[in-house]
Amino acid sequence: MNEAILVGVDLTKTFDKLTVVKEARIAIREGEFVSLVGKSGCGKTTLLSLLSGLERPTSGRVTIAGTEISGASEDELALSRRVNVGFIFQSFNLIPTLSAWENTALPLFPVRMAGAERRRRASEILERMELGNRLDHLPAALSGGEKQRVAIARALINHPKIVFADEPTGNLDTATGDAIMAILNRLHRDEGMTLLMVTHDTGLAETAERVIRMQDGEVLS
Amino acid sequence: MAVIGLSIGIAILIVLNALSLAYHEAARAPLKEIGADITVQRPGNVPEEMAGAVFPCSAVTIRRDEIDRIEKVSGVRGVGTALLLWVFDPNRVWIVLGIEQENPIGPSIVKNFVVEGRYLDAGKPETLVEAAYARQFGIRVGDSVSVAGRSLPVVGLVDASHAAKIAVANLYLPLSEAQAIAAASKPLQTVSPFAMGDANLLFIRVDQEKIASMASTLKGILGQKTAIATPDSFLKLLGSFFALSDKFALVASLIAVLIAVLIAFKTMAGNVAERMREIGVLKAVGWTRRNVTLQLLAESVVQCLVGGIIGLLIAFAAAFALGFMTVNIPIPWEMSPIPHFLPGGGVPLFKTLRLPVRIPWSLALFSVLLSVVIGGLTGALLSRHISKIKPSEVLRHE
Repeated sequence: MNEAILVGVDLTKTFDKLTVVKEARIAIREGEFVSLVGKSGCGKTTLLSLLSGLERPTSGRVTIAGTEISGASEDELALSRRVNVGFIFQSFNLIPTLSAWENTALPLFPVRMAGAERRRRASEILERMELGNRLDHLPAALSGGEKQRVAIARALINHPKIVFADEPTGNLDTATGDAIMAILNRLHRDEGMTLLMVTHDTGLAETAERVIRMQDGEVLS
Repeated sequence: MAVIGLSIGIAILIVLNALSLAYHEAARAPLKEIGADITVQRPGNVPEEMAGAVFPCSAVTIRRDEIDRIEKVSGVRGVGTALLLWVFDPNRVWIVLGIEQENPIGPSIVKNFVVEGRYLDAGKPETLVEAAYARQFGIRVGDSVSVAGRSLPVVGLVDASHAAKIAVANLYLPLSEAQAIAAASKPLQTVSPFAMGDANLLFIRVDQEKIASMASTLKGILGQKTAIATPDSFLKLLGSFFALSDKFALVASLIAVLIAVLIAFKTMAGNVAERMREIGVLKAVGWTRRNVTLQLLAESVVQCLVGGIIGLLIAFAAAFALGFMTVNIPIPWEMSPIPHFLPGGGVPLFKTLRLPVRIPWSLALFSVLLSVVIGGLTGALLSRHISKIKPSEVLRHE
């Protein structure tokens, strides 16, 4: 069995007096596809933020790829995300003024690298997403499914150890959502991508290898 | 909007300062034409009677020893002398100017405006006549004219309408001839004793940085009532508009830039606020605070640089258009005195020229650098706040 690539221990997050995540414990092994399911407002996205280093826990510890990030500074967290993590958001979060390849290459811009190399790597991964003919298109010229495929490409470009997907099909119609899930499944199955997917859709959650349920800020299973 | 605001501000800065420089340049023109930076006259008493050769009351004797002292003053690069006389002959009044024929400082510039005949030969008792005056009185090259009892052959005609407006006359004689006329004139000697070698007009070329301080030095030698004309004197004569624009050119242009900066800052701040989510995404995918700061700084500098360059282009276009404006520089009566009872005696005299508006490279470079600095400061101020955004805060509300 593979080792845990992501470990969260006794994670609690409180905003003002409201505790959103309560002493959550979670461990994800390398190459595993896990879904985190629960009703809206149960704390799924906050837990994902804690595990990915977008947010610091009020208490508890997070370890990614053997490095504890709970006490890291903002910049250390940013560097950790750049190296270890890929994100897929529900609303794509593409930058409207940048082309598909530039959006894909966003994590590479702070890295010392020739512009041509950045474009080559972005093009290569967009080809894999069957967007080779859309490299220079702005997000406004792309369909919802294409936008999410650009977002997936962006999540993968830095070869992350784990990809966090927050409701990746939430803004898509069923057919497009299915296509996106097919891509994620293929990446997991064929390339061994480790994936933690947050969803409120239990049907979608069941496509994962393992399902973790949340209710009222607590991890149930 | 930021680019437009800044470009207008920079354009105003450049144009106001270029205009100020142009007026300064224009004010130098009357003196520059006669190769001098300063003219000096000593006012005196009105002639007791208008008969024979007299001095205008605006210009009486400046002695040779005084001229010698002035030549030795530190910063004086050269001195030209001339002698201006009114000669009342029984049937005619002459305005006579004795000139040093070959001294480039002073009214010898008339040699460029000889329209018929030739210029004065050194050491010869001869004269040039102003062309319009010659036409009026039927004087031709080859004629002789009688001035204060001296007969002088006319060797050329001068078109004074194109010559300098300072120290103009009807007759131009070698300085020694005019000095001889003055020295022999009793009415003149009664008002202001005069000896050969003296003069009543001085044209002085001085080091540029010493022009302002030279006035007090000259007054120390010639007396406090001495009339000293410098480019600044002409600037004052240009009137309140110029005084206002000159005095406040820097202040007004800085205010324009400040307003432009505020517009640029407000616009950029608005743009950055709209880009909070974008910045959150950048930080989520691994951009550090420094990465974000540098990005915002670079964007701000580039925007302001573009604004500065556009402003510069607008200013060049405006300067080109303003270059078609003419400016009338009033010449004080004292500098070209015509007796009031003669035609044209009370008419104000102007030197009219195209406003020499040009944008010095130093001003252009300063403006572009200023826009870069504005971009840097604006970017630094904005990014200081915005780079602290936590990605989870802006991405949470999907």
